[in-house]
Amino acid sequence: MPDRKMFWRIMRRLLSANRGRLFVILLALGAGAAITSALLNLQVDAKRRLTAEFRAFGANVVIAPSDSGASAESAQFLNDSLFADLAKGMDSSTIPKAEFLYGIVDAARVPAAKDQKDGASTKVILAGFDYTGSRPEQVLPPALVAAAQKVASSDTRACEVGQRAAVTLELSSGDTVSLSNGSRQVSCLVEVLPSIGGAEDSQVFLNLRATQTLLDQPGRISLIQLSVPGTPQQIENHLASLRRLPDAEVRPIRQFTEGEAKIYNRISGILSATVGLVLVLTALCVMAAMTNVAMERRNDVGLMKAIGGATRRVLRLFLAEAAILGLTGGILGAAVGILLSMWLGKAVFGIAARPRLIVYPVAVALTIIVAIAGAFPLRRLASIRPAAVFRGEA
Amino acid sequence: MFIRLVADSFSRRPRHKLLTGAALALGMAVATAALSVSLDVGDRLAREFRSLGANLLVTPQADSLPLEIGGVDYRPVNAGAYLPESDLGKLKTIFWRNNVVGFAPAVEAPVDAWTKSSQTYSTPAIAAHTRLIGTWANHVVSIPDGSTYVTGIEKTNPWWQVDGRWFKDGAQECVVGKSFAARAGVKIGSALNVNTPQTNLTLLVTGILSGGGPEDDAIVAPITIAQEIAGKPGGYRRLYVSALTKPEDEFGRRDPNSLAPADYERWYCTPYISSIALQIKQVLPGANVRVIRRVADGEGAILTRVRSLLWLVTFASLLAAALAVGASSAASVIERRTEIGLMKALGAGSGTVGFLLAAEQLLLALVGGAAGYSLGILLARVVGQKIFGVAPEFSFLVLAVIIGLAAIVTMLGSAIPLRRASRFEPAPILRGE
Repeated sequence: MPDRKMFWRIMRRLLSANRGRLFVILLALGAGAAITSALLNLQVDAKRRLTAEFRAFGANVVIAPSDSGASAESAQFLNDSLFADLAKGMDSSTIPKAEFLYGIVDAARVPAAKDQKDGASTKVILAGFDYTGSRPEQVLPPALVAAAQKVASSDTRACEVGQRAAVTLELSSGDTVSLSNGSRQVSCLVEVLPSIGGAEDSQVFLNLRATQTLLDQPGRISLIQLSVPGTPQQIENHLASLRRLPDAEVRPIRQFTEGEAKIYNRISGILSATVGLVLVLTALCVMAAMTNVAMERRNDVGLMKAIGGATRRVLRLFLAEAAILGLTGGILGAAVGILLSMWLGKAVFGIAARPRLIVYPVAVALTIIVAIAGAFPLRRLASIRPAAVFRGEA
Repeated sequence: MFIRLVADSFSRRPRHKLLTGAALALGMAVATAALSVSLDVGDRLAREFRSLGANLLVTPQADSLPLEIGGVDYRPVNAGAYLPESDLGKLKTIFWRNNVVGFAPAVEAPVDAWTKSSQTYSTPAIAAHTRLIGTWANHVVSIPDGSTYVTGIEKTNPWWQVDGRWFKDGAQECVVGKSFAARAGVKIGSALNVNTPQTNLTLLVTGILSGGGPEDDAIVAPITIAQEIAGKPGGYRRLYVSALTKPEDEFGRRDPNSLAPADYERWYCTPYISSIALQIKQVLPGANVRVIRRVADGEGAILTRVRSLLWLVTFASLLAAALAVGASSAASVIERRTEIGLMKALGAGSGTVGFLLAAEQLLLALVGGAAGYSLGILLARVVGQKIFGVAPEFSFLVLAVIIGLAAIVTMLGSAIPLRRASRFEPAPILRGE
């Protein structure tokens, strides 16, 4: 088909006629596509990353015995096996979680040297704890996790003492404290925690197994805390699946689940709005550049029409040129956009944004559409009279 | 002559100038909107984070060690120290008083409660054992400077939802937690009998509270009632303070005692959570002020990230606006090559031509920038209204930045084609080559 051959030949000439201009247009289109794809990618990634950031608030779900809280005297317990079962569940296996057993014990400082006298005995809350999951600091206070990991390496039994409890008991790190419940008694090496601001400040933390023995509650725990990640919707779904557990009440910590949902919606709203604005602007910018190109083609259009080109064919030629430019610029720009968004993700969240493949076809398609739309003023050229162009009239 | 030339250029091709101006205005509108939203967003978000509740906890310094499990204190009410409620107005006299958005004191006491409606013919009323939390719902605090301030648990614990209404301050009313209500058969409007060995009260139930914590199994009543039960009139045991803070940075985490006087001043006058805690401690004698680390640190981390994210996106939008405006002004210069050629042929130097065109572009930038600014403010209002329910505040900084940006960008955009045009020989241009 000579017609098609001619078409491509003209196209080649159009594109290669002015290298400098080709470069400028590809730059404009590529920059547009790069900004588009980087922002789209960053936006998708940022929302996901934000939900992970929210885990800094700690546990957002508590599993307690179904009739807890009635009174201290009738305190109920959960079975230890429930915790292990949770860890086995398919989607629950990676969620950070901690189990606790609480009890009231008498604590006293054990004198380091014989000539010192014993510290006064005080009633404190003993919290036995254990945790699983890769990021325990998302469910336990980070200071407690750090202290627990520090003492885990030593052979001696150690316990972490909250800051207020340490002041009352006159303890400092490295002392020995004795904890007693009736006739049962353990002593452990003290690691004092920094102030956390919650009830933890007045508690003494000990390994769960040792606590169960000390409190004579083998195989029992008071409650389980979970730090469920995800969007508000995902957390809700997870709660629904947890609610099937027998003899246990699953309570979202409303303070965090609700607050998080609210803040998440605000942040993602503002992010979407700003990204939307930037995309509109980028489109405008690319369109302006394309319009420029189109207007510069007046002479070409005049010549083509003079030697008998039908307006439709001439128009098709220029729109095809715009599409090719859009495709090339879009692909180049999207590739730059991947790198850009990874770098931006690193700058903001400390972790490179994961490239989402869906973003790139979208960015390329948008660029092509914008490029063609930008070339549309050529339609006005259809009304150009070739003679006027050749006479050099505007 | 100069002014005439500029005026002539505008009046001769009004439609063309309008188009360039419109592109400029549109770009600047988007830049304005993005800039004013992100200038405002830090404060807005900080306020949003207060929906997570108190970030400071005040307890008596001389208090005995709390025996607290799951938010329930198992100490007897007469053990431990109390702080005077009358001091609380001083919280609004600290340096960062406007950052204190809410506070609520609390006194707790174990009680037995029952209601007539839970009594049937077969089962006599059984007193249910629970806790009574005395606090403020909407309390009017008088501040030492003579003004008043309304605050209470509604401000510090916004996730506490009450079906019905909150109790009135000082009235014989209460709200009950939803699980206690279910357990004891209490409904809105019931008369709840609250007994302790010393006192005997009847409270009107005005609402059912759901909070998702231990308060769901408690009675919440005006603080005066709890003080009466505990035998500590005018005292409180715990105070929750919700304050707007600046995320702690490297400087904020330093020990204030180790700072040089000038640095200490700077630390004290920055709304870090720790400096607000110190200021509260200074006005409440005998109080121990602790930072609720989970809330404060989590908030700080997220705010920092979101702020940098938004600045980044704003920067991208400014860049895109600059590109758009630059491109359109470049286009308008390129189109006037013939005119430039003519001017040069008539003896104008490159400098004169450049100056003339620059003046035109600058005029366009000012007009377009101002129009874009007003359009952008409207846009920002719509966006702000939609996302936060409040329009961002007007800022002269944005206006200055936008006009400046418009001027710089149009100049830069026209500089390159102008330079190229000045290098052309007039003759070929006039011949139309």
